[in-house]
Amino acid sequence: MVKMSLDPIQVMSGQVKELKVSPSSNGDTRGSWEEKEVFDPNQLDRTAKPKPVTGRRARKVEGGVFFPKPENAVTVAVSSRVLFRTEREQRVFEQKGVEEYLRYQIEHENEPFAPGPAFPFVKALETVNARLRDLYPQSEELFDIVLVTYNHAHVGIRLINTINHHNLFIERFCMTGGSSPIGYLKAWQTNLYLSADAEKVREALAEGIAAATMFFTDKITEVSESQLRVAFDGDAVLFSDESERIFKTHGLDKFFEHERENEDILLDHGPLKGFLEALGKLQKKFYAKGQRLDCPIRTYLVTARSAASSGIRALKTLRAWGLEIDEALFLAGAPKGPMLEKIRPHIYFDDQMFHVEGAAEMGTVAAHVPYGIAQKYSRQQNSSTGK
Amino acid sequence: MSEIKPEDPATAELSAEEKDWAAAKAFFDSLKTKVPRPPKPRNAVTIAVSSRTLFNMVAERKIYEDDGLETYVGFQVKHEDEPLKPGPAFPFVKALMNVNSRLRELYPDSEELFDIVLMTNNHAEVGVRLINSINHYGLTIERFCMTGGESPIGYLKAYMTNLYLSKDSKKVIDAIEEGIAAATMFMSEKESNLSDTQLRVAFDGDAVLFSDESEIIVKQHGLDSFFEHEKMNENKPLAQGPLKCFLEALGKLQRKFYEKNERMNCPIRTFLVTARSAASSGARVLKTLRTWGLEIDEALFLAGAPKGPLLQKIRPHIFFDDQMHHIEGAKELGTISAHVPYGIGQKYHKGKLIEQPEKKE
Repeated sequence: MVKMSLDPIQVMSGQVKELKVSPSSNGDTRGSWEEKEVFDPNQLDRTAKPKPVTGRRARKVEGGVFFPKPENAVTVAVSSRVLFRTEREQRVFEQKGVEEYLRYQIEHENEPFAPGPAFPFVKALETVNARLRDLYPQSEELFDIVLVTYNHAHVGIRLINTINHHNLFIERFCMTGGSSPIGYLKAWQTNLYLSADAEKVREALAEGIAAATMFFTDKITEVSESQLRVAFDGDAVLFSDESERIFKTHGLDKFFEHERENEDILLDHGPLKGFLEALGKLQKKFYAKGQRLDCPIRTYLVTARSAASSGIRALKTLRAWGLEIDEALFLAGAPKGPMLEKIRPHIYFDDQMFHVEGAAEMGTVAAHVPYGIAQKYSRQQNSSTGK
Repeated sequence: MSEIKPEDPATAELSAEEKDWAAAKAFFDSLKTKVPRPPKPRNAVTIAVSSRTLFNMVAERKIYEDDGLETYVGFQVKHEDEPLKPGPAFPFVKALMNVNSRLRELYPDSEELFDIVLMTNNHAEVGVRLINSINHYGLTIERFCMTGGESPIGYLKAYMTNLYLSKDSKKVIDAIEEGIAAATMFMSEKESNLSDTQLRVAFDGDAVLFSDESEIIVKQHGLDSFFEHEKMNENKPLAQGPLKCFLEALGKLQRKFYEKNERMNCPIRTFLVTARSAASSGARVLKTLRTWGLEIDEALFLAGAPKGPLLQKIRPHIFFDDQMHHIEGAKELGTISAHVPYGIGQKYHKGKLIEQPEKKE
């Protein structure tokens, strides 16, 4: 019987008989869960090279900025559960408790996780970074990805192995060992926080940090590897939820009237406006070098608003903020799923679960922004009618 | 309250005096048990603090430097009844005592506690003021070493000191050379809200917990060679640094809480705040800690980002780092920090060279 307090030295030297550690699975994306061999402690020293890691560091760090200062960079904080698929480990944690979970993670240390919902997004961010470095080698205005996780430092090795296996470049970690990471988000000057836990996302939003909950879906459409595509809903995501309130309380006609009357009054800003701003800033760097047609960032507005009746206010507001959006789709109530499938964004932000689920059904990676009045209506399906 | 054990009277008959004496002794003995007895040094985690770190003696120090020893001692004696103000190590010591009370609750007979020793260059005459101040704040510091000008290093070893905190970097350097974990403390001007219930200790990685071998490579050969070297030697543990043993001592006490199922409520929390990058050089650090059997609660890999804002969020009672510019950054934002004068980082202090440690990882 293994002692309650896990003794890592025993695990490592293979003295605990029940623990069998599988060999380092270099090439497989899915670790071999079933086959296990007895771990040979002598091999430990000789495995200085076979880690998949050595092959990948082709780029030289000295040429080009790889560690931007947080105040200059666009910091995206992701949790380990959205970057990788960790359902099995979650189950172990929930059913058997912390000690067993840690043991399990250490045992499977050399098996990389499979990619999670935020994985294509992060990969695309790195592509953009590479392009930015080409054009502006000394600039620190890049994307900076920070891994923020509740996990203990024990699990860190497995995360590091997985990151290296997938050739990601994530150098900043916050392993909080159980306490809340929200405080650290502000210290990192986070521009966007993605997590699988709605509670944490709500806390972050309350602190003024753009945040969204991500979900894993079985069906994932292919997304572009060369261009980062981000799609936003309008109300309660980019803009505040004031218009939604009117719609929900007084109905569609009132809503149209109100919008027409207030056409020239700007909408208040929503939680993700700051992130769109950050994207716009980077986009302008490409435009400045004549790369508008080839820009590796593309933004989309996918809103259930109707163009003629209520679209002007949205566009005028964006213009007043000095934000450009590449493509604007006014759906006037049509389902968003098929449109998104054609857009193939790396991530789509919406405040209503109904839309998030609809998008997920068609294979789009959607993130829920738990903000605004729509959260109270999430159980009722009347949000299906258009505006 | 020293333990005065009177000699047993040789005669068997009990005269009235002796009866009185026996009664007094019994009374005294029963008194003593209310106050917890200090543990034996080899069982306890001994922390030696100097008077200037425990209390704010800036004004007194000035008198000593300007007007000389006699005036200084006279001043102290005159103000004997005025308690001194808290110094940089004060919150740390308070937190240690809090941990002690928790430990006593769970393990009433164990001697594995924190033991705080006051190690000061002061003369014994100043002792009264120190004792008054200690009692004023309700601290439990029973062991004193007033060396009256001599070096305290020998006494540190005799007390089996696990950590020595002082304001005098020379003494700290001597202590480190003797193999005792030591650091120079700095007070920050800003007030910060520190936890009353949980002792929080933050460590830098290289040249504090680990040796400075990797830092030497960075300084002499640059970042890329550093990454390569770390990758090649990923499974080879780093050599230990000056504060490794203190972390070990903390871990030992933490495990006592875990065994009583208090993991979530543990009053000791340790943090690693390192400028290393996770994917390129982090694995070696985590593996080294594991090989040593040490756990650390939270690990923050900064990859060169400034430590100040994160430390501000962590709010540790003490933060150990080997490079002065990190200490200064931390101080500005209100973190109590302690400088560990060890390793190659000490040679890089001016102008452009300061930039290098920032870009290090």
